[in-house]
Amino acid sequence: MKRLLLIVSLILVTLPAFRSVADTAETHQLTQHEKIEAAEEEQAESKNLDVKEIIFHHLGDGYGWEVPFSHVYRIPLPVIVRAEDGKWFCFSSDKLTEVIVTENEETGKKEEHLVPVIHSVVRDGKEYLFYIPHLSENKNKVVELFPLTDAQQAEVNAMLIAEAKSKGTDLHHTVLAGYTKAGDHYYREYRPLDISITKNVLALFIAAVLVTVMVMCVVRFYTRKGMKAPRKGMGFFEMLIDFIYTGVIKANLGKNAPKYAPYLLTCFFFILTMNLLGLIVIFPGGANLTGNIAITLVLAVLTFIITNVKGTKHYWKEIFWPDVPMFLKFPLPIMQMIEIFGMFTKPAALCVRLFANMMGGHMIVITLTLLIFIFAAFGAAASGGATAISIFFSCFMLLLDVLVSFIQAYVFTLLSTMFIAMSQESGHHDEVEA
Amino acid sequence: MELFTPDFGLVFWMFIAFIILFVILWKWGWPVIIKNMEERADTIDKGVEYAREAKHQLDNAREEARKYMEEASAKQAEMLRDAAKMKSQIIEEAKQQATVEAQKVMDAAKVSIEQSRKEAELQFRNEVSKFSIEIAEKMVRKQLDNDASQKALVDKMLDEIEKN
Repeated sequence: MKRLLLIVSLILVTLPAFRSVADTAETHQLTQHEKIEAAEEEQAESKNLDVKEIIFHHLGDGYGWEVPFSHVYRIPLPVIVRAEDGKWFCFSSDKLTEVIVTENEETGKKEEHLVPVIHSVVRDGKEYLFYIPHLSENKNKVVELFPLTDAQQAEVNAMLIAEAKSKGTDLHHTVLAGYTKAGDHYYREYRPLDISITKNVLALFIAAVLVTVMVMCVVRFYTRKGMKAPRKGMGFFEMLIDFIYTGVIKANLGKNAPKYAPYLLTCFFFILTMNLLGLIVIFPGGANLTGNIAITLVLAVLTFIITNVKGTKHYWKEIFWPDVPMFLKFPLPIMQMIEIFGMFTKPAALCVRLFANMMGGHMIVITLTLLIFIFAAFGAAASGGATAISIFFSCFMLLLDVLVSFIQAYVFTLLSTMFIAMSQESGHHDEVEA
Repeated sequence: MELFTPDFGLVFWMFIAFIILFVILWKWGWPVIIKNMEERADTIDKGVEYAREAKHQLDNAREEARKYMEEASAKQAEMLRDAAKMKSQIIEEAKQQATVEAQKVMDAAKVSIEQSRKEAELQFRNEVSKFSIEIAEKMVRKQLDNDASQKALVDKMLDEIEKN
């Protein structure tokens, strides 16, 4: 219940952003006809299953958060972008999409489609256009559009035909750098500096709040009940803390443990929460956070900074003047080059390991689920069999991912601890090689 | 590939979110938990140590009590033995003393009996000698009432002295 309130309040906080822009001009909006055309195009494309597209859609980020059982309706999130002329814009992501209802000609059923629309903002007498292109270098990202004159349109068209010819692609699927097509017209596009609260960012905040709440619960327990041991959930949480603190941090860092424990514990629980949230399919979860290289990169960079900023004299000596035969380090600094290279490969490995493991897990589950739709083309028996098998394996993989979530959080913390411990060595000859 | 190129917005928010989370937990979270966990562990260790110590002491106390009991019973036995010994000794002494006393009385009695006997003997002897002298006197008086017999006697006496 508490968590729900928290999420609602979080959304309420971001709400004012949605109303910030009131005056919109109609000049560059797409016409209804263009929208329906886009919807029909999407419908035609959705008939042939684009597996790669679906997988990357699920693994990637988004400006809205899909609600269960619908591809069309999304929880709107604030888009924050800096336009080409340096002005900041903040609007709701639902301004960039619209739901178009079409009638299926074969079955007569009404079908809903989510199509991208141009969001136009007038500020200080100037019109700013924002759009999420499908056919562009910046696919599925917010871009700022600049209208072209008719002459420029023709020029772009010519360039497009040349590009399509040289690459041998279909004209409708050719991407021209720096330009995008919205409706029937071409626009010059600019990818603005984008710090939108996307699905991943919101998931990140939720994870951070969850970790804070969990830790503060334990802290409150201690301040209230003193020396009593927590039970049940809190006991489990404390056991995890103790497992990491005693088993990993204290075992590797010794007397330095209290100094680095806050960072490492925060890392562990943040990663673990993000991993596990990623496995939940619906709203508060479902974002592939730790399977996104941006997240793991920040964590790895922080470990790198701590390792090197807090490195002792001995650590730097090991890098620039290691205990090896002279010919390995003097005229040609072979060892130094290897050591310096190693300085960077260690956090890079941290970053890629977590990212690849989590992304791989998600990808396998999605692929297994997609098998159902791939086999649907081969008739009822094949699709029935594939469904049973894929559900079984998906469940198995998800359970395995729960384990992997824990293991990867643990491994990240363990390796960070070891790297920090190596940089903390003050001397003599206890060499630890990673 | 979108997945392999870190998105600036996400990096930015991740950095901010992580730093805020870290600062909050660093100030008010982890140190409190770690301190409490370690304190509790220490307390439990101390408790166990205390209990062990207490058990040890209890065992010692029991052992000591047993020792005291043993000692006491040993003393009691000894005292009983001493008492018995003393009793028999006293009886023995009393007996001895009694015997000595009795002996003394007997000896005294013996001496007095002897003395009385000797006195009686002496008295008897004196009586006997007196009687015998009287008898002898009477006899001698009877025999020597004529001169001839007196003269025969003196002769005989003289003969005897000559022979010697």
